[in-house]
Amino acid sequence: MTAPVTSTVIRFRVNGHDREMLVPVRLTVAELLRDRLGLTGTKVSCEMQVCGACTVVVDGDPVSSCAALACDLDGTEVLTVEGLAQGRDLHPVQEAFMEANALQCGFCTPGFIMMAVALLDAHPDAGAEDVREWMDGNLCRCTGYAPIETAVTLAASRLTAATAEDGQ
Amino acid sequence: MAVLPELGLVRSGDLDEVLAAVDYDHAAYAGGTELVPAMGLGLRRPAAIVDLKRVEALKKIEVDAEVGSVTIGAAVTHRRLSDHPAVREHLPTLAAAASRVGNARVRSTGTVGGNLCFAEPRSDLGCVLVALDATAEVRSTRGARTLSIDELIVGAFETSLEPDEILTAVAVPFEPPGMSYWKLQSYERPTLGVALVVSADQWEVTVGAATERPTRAVLGVGDAAGLAAFVDRLELSDDMTGPPDYKRSVLRAHLQRALGAAL
Repeated sequence: MTAPVTSTVIRFRVNGHDREMLVPVRLTVAELLRDRLGLTGTKVSCEMQVCGACTVVVDGDPVSSCAALACDLDGTEVLTVEGLAQGRDLHPVQEAFMEANALQCGFCTPGFIMMAVALLDAHPDAGAEDVREWMDGNLCRCTGYAPIETAVTLAASRLTAATAEDGQ
Repeated sequence: MAVLPELGLVRSGDLDEVLAAVDYDHAAYAGGTELVPAMGLGLRRPAAIVDLKRVEALKKIEVDAEVGSVTIGAAVTHRRLSDHPAVREHLPTLAAAASRVGNARVRSTGTVGGNLCFAEPRSDLGCVLVALDATAEVRSTRGARTLSIDELIVGAFETSLEPDEILTAVAVPFEPPGMSYWKLQSYERPTLGVALVVSADQWEVTVGAATERPTRAVLGVGDAAGLAAFVDRLELSDDMTGPPDYKRSVLRAHLQRALGAAL
């Protein structure tokens, strides 16, 4: 039988930087990002895949970093909230959250933003139904959700318009 | 943050090596959507996890047009299942159910095999697959066997798999006409799921989520009395989403509407 190992080397890319690290198998992606890489924008709350605060994007898919193991990142590309802005220019989703007042205390915001980024990446033409279907796995205890929905819809329309402009 | 205890990893692209490693203390692992939180809570304490994701055979979706079935590898994620053209064509109800499992993150990583083998009663796929007469393909170093999904799921959080066996695939006959799946859901898991297959002479009703395991009744068309007796007999769960009486009322109302039966 192949003997189990308790740590493994992973090679992956996070927010555009290549990394090679030896990680224990028991380490979660959230622990890797927050404790080892100092990327504390990713929040941890329920640890049950329910609240969405820890959402990051792995190879384009939204993932609960609290319930994913770091050993699975080998060969992947990870995007966290820290990787969105270009210098001082915010990502269109971040801009839209600010404009629509889609945050109050801000704890859930990185998770919501990363989920919206994953959605608009996969479905640039996302409609109201898609927005609800993708965002309904993220919990916010302040806003009442309507401003968040407005923000994601606003970001979607801007990204679509920008893509159309690029195409001309 | 709950820190997981030390954990081993077995990783191989070879199914035989994976099978040689799996036993009670060496848990089959794919998406981790159920296993990682369960380990965090101390509900499951395997010495090692055995990663199934590098075994290509477990990630295939294959259509057999002659037999009229789709074989879905156990490590296929809910998102791949719901987005796959052949699944959408031949198993539209299953594809739609998979597109609403858990939340968008669970659908990215969670797998068909994990969903079935964890045997959480509040699941959509189990109910839909029982209604579709799907079969489970099971392997161990001792050999292979095939069983119905009904035989695989024996109770809440309980399957008939031996500790050294893994589910490798699910074979699903093409969806028959007249099939539908409806669910009531207020949190991340369904409260009640109902799969119907209505043909010229039969009502097939499969109830899941509120039952310990998907429970099916096959009735003659128009047999309202038989349907009422089935609904009355079901043992329904009592949890934070509501008492059994409430779930029974919802179930009755849905069946009345969907089948036009006076219950």
